[in-house]
Amino acid sequence: MREVNEDVSVYAGQRATAEAIERGGGGGLSVDALLAKVRTAAAPTPAGTDVAAAAAAVPDVEGPVPDVVPDVEGPAAAVPDVEGPAAVVPDVESPAAVVPDVEALAAAIAAVAGRHLPEGHLSPDADFFDAGGTSVGAVELVAALEDELGMEIALDDVFADARPTSLAHRWLSTSHTTAALSAPAAPEAPTPGTTWAPDTAGTATSGGTSAPVTVGSPLPPSAAGTRPAPAPGILPVPAPRTAPAVAVTPTPYSTARPEDLDQILADLALADRLPWTGDPEPLPPRRILLTGATGFLGSHMLLDLLRHSDAHVYCLVRAADEEAALGRLGEALKKYELPWSSEVRRRVTVLPGDIRRPHLGLSDELWTTLTHELDSVVGVAAAVDFLRGYQSLRQSNVIGTLTLAELAATGRPKPLHHISSIAVFNEVGITAMGEDDPLAHVDRLVAGYDQTKWAAEVALRRARDHGLIVTALRPGGIGGHTRTGAYNPQDLSSGLLSAFGRFRTVPAFNHLNAAPVDWVSRVAVGVVCEPDAWGYDYNLTGVPNTLDDVVRDMALGGMHVRVQDWDEWRTHALARLEAEPVPELAFLNRVLQSPTALKLCEATLKGPAATAERTAALVEALGLRPAARYDAQAQLRTFERLAQDGLARLPHKDDQPYLWFSETTEGGVGPVGAPADTPCSMALTLSLASMYQLVKERRVDVTGELTCAAVHPEPLVVEHGDVWIRPEEGIPQRHGMRHRLLSYRLALRDAEGGRWWLEGHKYARARRDVWRQTRALTVEIGREGAPAALAGELVVPADTYLRDQVDGIKVDPRLTSQEKRAAKLTWLAWFGLEMGRGLLGPFARAAADLLDLRRTTTPSEHHR
Amino acid sequence: MILRSTDSRTRPTLRKVRSTTTLRPLHHRLDPARVEEIPFRADDGVRLGLTRVDSGDTDRPAVLLLHGHTASADMFLLPETRNLVDVLLDDGYEPWLLDWRGSCRLPYNETGQKYTYDDVALYDIPAAVSHIRRRIGDRPLFVVAHCVGSLTLSLSMTAGLVPGLAGVVSQGVFLTPKLAGRTSLRMSLAGELLRSRIDHIPVDIRKAGLWSKYTPLFALASRGASCPDPTCQILHNSAWGTGASLFVHEHLSEATHHRLAELLGPAPLWILPHLRRIELARTVVRWHDGDHRYRALPRNALDAAARIDTPVLLLAGSENGLWLDSQRLCHDVLARRQPQLDVAYTEIPGYGHLDTFLGRGAALDVFGHILEFLGERR
Repeated sequence: MREVNEDVSVYAGQRATAEAIERGGGGGLSVDALLAKVRTAAAPTPAGTDVAAAAAAVPDVEGPVPDVVPDVEGPAAAVPDVEGPAAVVPDVESPAAVVPDVEALAAAIAAVAGRHLPEGHLSPDADFFDAGGTSVGAVELVAALEDELGMEIALDDVFADARPTSLAHRWLSTSHTTAALSAPAAPEAPTPGTTWAPDTAGTATSGGTSAPVTVGSPLPPSAAGTRPAPAPGILPVPAPRTAPAVAVTPTPYSTARPEDLDQILADLALADRLPWTGDPEPLPPRRILLTGATGFLGSHMLLDLLRHSDAHVYCLVRAADEEAALGRLGEALKKYELPWSSEVRRRVTVLPGDIRRPHLGLSDELWTTLTHELDSVVGVAAAVDFLRGYQSLRQSNVIGTLTLAELAATGRPKPLHHISSIAVFNEVGITAMGEDDPLAHVDRLVAGYDQTKWAAEVALRRARDHGLIVTALRPGGIGGHTRTGAYNPQDLSSGLLSAFGRFRTVPAFNHLNAAPVDWVSRVAVGVVCEPDAWGYDYNLTGVPNTLDDVVRDMALGGMHVRVQDWDEWRTHALARLEAEPVPELAFLNRVLQSPTALKLCEATLKGPAATAERTAALVEALGLRPAARYDAQAQLRTFERLAQDGLARLPHKDDQPYLWFSETTEGGVGPVGAPADTPCSMALTLSLASMYQLVKERRVDVTGELTCAAVHPEPLVVEHGDVWIRPEEGIPQRHGMRHRLLSYRLALRDAEGGRWWLEGHKYARARRDVWRQTRALTVEIGREGAPAALAGELVVPADTYLRDQVDGIKVDPRLTSQEKRAAKLTWLAWFGLEMGRGLLGPFARAAADLLDLRRTTTPSEHHR
Repeated sequence: MILRSTDSRTRPTLRKVRSTTTLRPLHHRLDPARVEEIPFRADDGVRLGLTRVDSGDTDRPAVLLLHGHTASADMFLLPETRNLVDVLLDDGYEPWLLDWRGSCRLPYNETGQKYTYDDVALYDIPAAVSHIRRRIGDRPLFVVAHCVGSLTLSLSMTAGLVPGLAGVVSQGVFLTPKLAGRTSLRMSLAGELLRSRIDHIPVDIRKAGLWSKYTPLFALASRGASCPDPTCQILHNSAWGTGASLFVHEHLSEATHHRLAELLGPAPLWILPHLRRIELARTVVRWHDGDHRYRALPRNALDAAARIDTPVLLLAGSENGLWLDSQRLCHDVLARRQPQLDVAYTEIPGYGHLDTFLGRGAALDVFGHILEFLGERR
């Protein structure tokens, strides 16, 4: 899914051109074309700057200008600019005068930004992130802009819209408003737009409120033009409607920025340009176009498509040529532990292209061929970034989706399967998230990601009216693979899961709507391959986890967490991340500091459980694995991988042990081959850092000391020690019936610094001294690097066994008494079972040998 | 009592006086002219099946494929899916398929003389390898072995009977067989209870009939099964009554599912004592301790593992319901006890036991690992 973000964008520089082509793509003299003509005629400035200039006039949402919000509430917002093109013209506040400044500044910003990009340069109209910029790069860019150009731009502004031109405008409009905008505007035309700049915040409800919006429209000319012309009659409507809204939206970041809303409306209108199309043939697809195959979900879906259909899959991959594309796809699949062999390659064709470009960046010839030959279009590609704004993400997430719709609707009718997201419901306070429930109010979606997913899905709803079969598949959080543990490092749930385990705290949430990637992918592919499932909306959210579930699951793994309020948790987590920075969790740190992303988190954590009746019915009908809760067992592999990669942290030997008890042994040792008559004893403490260590490694940590005159008159200290329980399944070291129950391996240091090793085994044998077998340790002791010098047997005295190892078990004092009891019982039950199995082994073999003495009578079944 | 009833519906067969054992024909979609069936006998005279798939080239490395017990060479030739033979041919190898005496294309599991895995390790595999060697000269020879085919191969290898292989891919189980306690218990108990009454467990109810002494077995196997097909139940849900699961149901194509009774035959009960001894020792051990004909085989294959002279790839599905994580265990044990050996372990996520070869997605998920291993050593 993240595909579009990460790598060097080959086309970054060409984006502006691409956009221009795309705008032209509608053809004919549509309203927008006419409008654009009027515009250019009236304001003869280059298209790009024209747009940007318009954007500059829009007041910042985060600034003291709450009044702008109401303006975009109604459809009327769009009205003036269509209804009177002439009125628009003067509003584009004297571009001629402003542009030189803006252009120069934008060029300077672009030059600075270029240094933080893999490509080394950035076109003033290209988005910093689209060009391959990273969040870290953005932080550096903000610092560099302040140092070198003296511009103080908030990081969040960069995320919201990272085109240098926009940044220049934003800077000019906020800090140098009067100098840059008002001054040149004055001689030109005293339009409402100029007088209305930020200082007019107080005049929110004045009659002129609708006018600024006209000015503020940041739409590219074509997009703006695609707005359907509403009847002029609705023009007066907004004024009364705006009034109450102003009063209730005083806090910043509680609503969308008006310029984003305008852009959304314009983008939605693009769907109206799609051709009319008929019904596709209701057959399982044979040729599928898949986008986003290098992403987390996409790569899993690619393999599932190959496994569960006979289709050939065409993967759109962003790369310069086919070889590079194939290389990228292979890397991605390997990264997610998916197979990449000649067997996979023979059923896949890569198409180098870019979802953000017109016709996906494919040649006209190829585009035409695809429109006629494909059976199915599966759109998985999306820019997943919770920090970036709508402007920055729309090209990938909205325009790209519409291009796929165009592909699906052109030529042979094909169904379009669109991976949407539960984010379309991501409004704080939404009450239900069913498959057919109303989506969020877009003006209350704050994060750019939520907005783009909403806009894409709503645009595709419009596409349905053109006859296109559109399936919207909405995953919630996509958790790691239950078998391979492959996870998406940029996914919020990976970060949160890691943080929960690290800090041993969880924020109070209602539900986590997350499902493992293997299930999401399998169900999505089930839909793609089943014609009767096409054309509906599905929530691929699985069974939501409640707070209780998560706390219980983590306790089961020996990680007892405490619940905190969301704000408290955030402060706490940020402080911990500040105190001991984890580079792998830097993105979580940024998310927790970004006001827009926080809104997204809040909505996610406080949202209701998503319901998915249609998906459940489909899963049952297709005989797929029913959704199961993404529980501790399912998350285990992912958690291991997270720990391996440094995101999460498994409990460690040096931490406060989870559980411990002491063990004393007494006996004698002697030189190898001689009688063991020198008294020897050990006083050990056996401890566990977590149940995970026990179950996965079957290992217990050992500390303590050895007292043995044959080694050294003073006691020896255990520097490092392990006990393995039934190592290697107890397989005898040499052919025979001595199965190993326990193995001790200790590194010892004597008082003079001499180093020794001790190796001991408890053996199970088919003999009646079972009680002694569990206590007797056959040991060998030697100097470090040398063979064994001493051998003998140490035995746990029968009277101390129960006292020390059952009654004497201590548990981490931070746990509640209930948790302590559970920990103790779990250990005893697990250890008891293992010992039982170990002791039984030799007896079972002996019994089998006796049974084999029976005479074999073979009944005559020869006739069969 | 149902178990004691004699089965009167089956016709007696004529005693074989002049004819010998014949193999059921292979089921494949290759050009018949390219499939060479070799009249082949093991060193102790038992008729086996050896098949060479001609690729037209004479310089390709050969790959010997060993099926599991009660399966047959058909498991590598499934016409309905992209099978291992297709994949090997396309990647430039010459496949050879051995039907050792546990094959369901041969009659021994049902009616023939008894054998143990010692016979397979001592007679069948070495004979096939030396036959192939005579035909291919000094071209490299690889072996891909499944389940008991792989287990007996490990015994041949540690006995030094098949030296100089270019590489071995072992699926499911190798030197350290491990069954679930439940499976082991059922196998031992059921084997002991039934062995005076029947000598094999059929998988095809069409051959046993609805009302027969096997009916209770099929009924037991159907407990809690999700698939109504009795053959599928006794294999998928119960692995010949042991309660283990042989494959992940979803992975089989419909055509393969219909053919299960053809792909897997009845399991003989008289093999259980050897299997039980192996399983309880958690290592491959010889059955014949007093018979000097078998002294070439090591008493304990794990102790003799140092004789392995070829790279080994241990494959296993993560959901193997029969041998569990035997392969991982084998890898760990060999890494510790014989660190000089070239042994790798690859786990195939989500796969069970048989579906690693029979599954409709096996070419995508499994065969790539095999090709990669062979490709590095060809």
